[in-house]
Amino acid sequence: IHPTGKLFVLSDGEGKHATVELSEPLDEEISGVLEVVGRVTNQATIMCMSYVQFREDKSPFDLELYNEALKIIHEFPEYFPFG
Amino acid sequence: QRIRSQNIVPCTVSQLLAAEQVDETFRIRDVEISQVTIIGIIRHAEKAPTNILYKVDDMTAAPMDVRQWVDTDEAGGENVVVLPGTYVKVAGHLRSFQNKKSLVAFKIMPLENMNEFTTHILEIVNAHMILRKNLMSASRAPQSFSAGIGDVGGYGGGGSLPVNGLTAHQSQVLNLIKNCPVPEGMSLQELKLQLHHMSMSTIKQAVEFLSSEGHIYSTVDDDHYKSTDAE
Repeated sequence: IHPTGKLFVLSDGEGKHATVELSEPLDEEISGVLEVVGRVTNQATIMCMSYVQFREDKSPFDLELYNEALKIIHEFPEYFPFG
Repeated sequence: QRIRSQNIVPCTVSQLLAAEQVDETFRIRDVEISQVTIIGIIRHAEKAPTNILYKVDDMTAAPMDVRQWVDTDEAGGENVVVLPGTYVKVAGHLRSFQNKKSLVAFKIMPLENMNEFTTHILEIVNAHMILRKNLMSASRAPQSFSAGIGDVGGYGGGGSLPVNGLTAHQSQVLNLIKNCPVPEGMSLQELKLQLHHMSMSTIKQAVEFLSSEGHIYSTVDDDHYKSTDAE
């Protein structure tokens, strides 16, 4: 997380990094797995519109598995349509 | 004949919005649905005296209205509102009113393990794929039997969700064996030829199960089977 609190870096299920920018600095501590909803910018960063922290108090979230699941759903748009 | 879905089918909100309605039934690409599950995040919660209206967002479309009726006689428990920002699994019935779709939930469960979310999205692809495959092979199977066979209606339902005690694979194998007119019955090789999407081991497993349940019996040898229900 950048010191200004307006930028943080996420690592996805394949170990690739993505930079997330916020319009307002963070007002809370964030850690662990986050789901960010936002728009991709021309600098290949994500302009964050909202985010939510995944609960991991009872069980850790398997990010690699999630990544594999994403690949599958993109392979079958007829069974997993996006709007 | 109707392929009735008696199962609860995991769906995306986008699928529910795209579902076509004919009279009282909804169909998603020809697959009939009624009870569904969705997983999404609560964006809004509004409490009224008799019900709670949530807007649940699974990111495949705009948030969907989910209504949960509240038992006004029951104190506590059921009347607790789930907070926005929480990921939930909703089980309910699809409804359409004035062309607007919504869900009437019979269960709303906050997710405690986010891996359920991953499982759900995979189950969606799996369930819809299998339901569709069942429909396709149902229309291909020989329809030469008489109108009296009521239990062939057990064809519907998801692949891994047994309907009438049989999975989709077992149903398909059983129906082919039932329709075989030859005295010595259907051979495993013939089953494999007709069910080219199933592996031989899957077919053998289905045959073993059907045989142990008494739906079929072996004839000239262990490779040939006839149905106990045959006409």
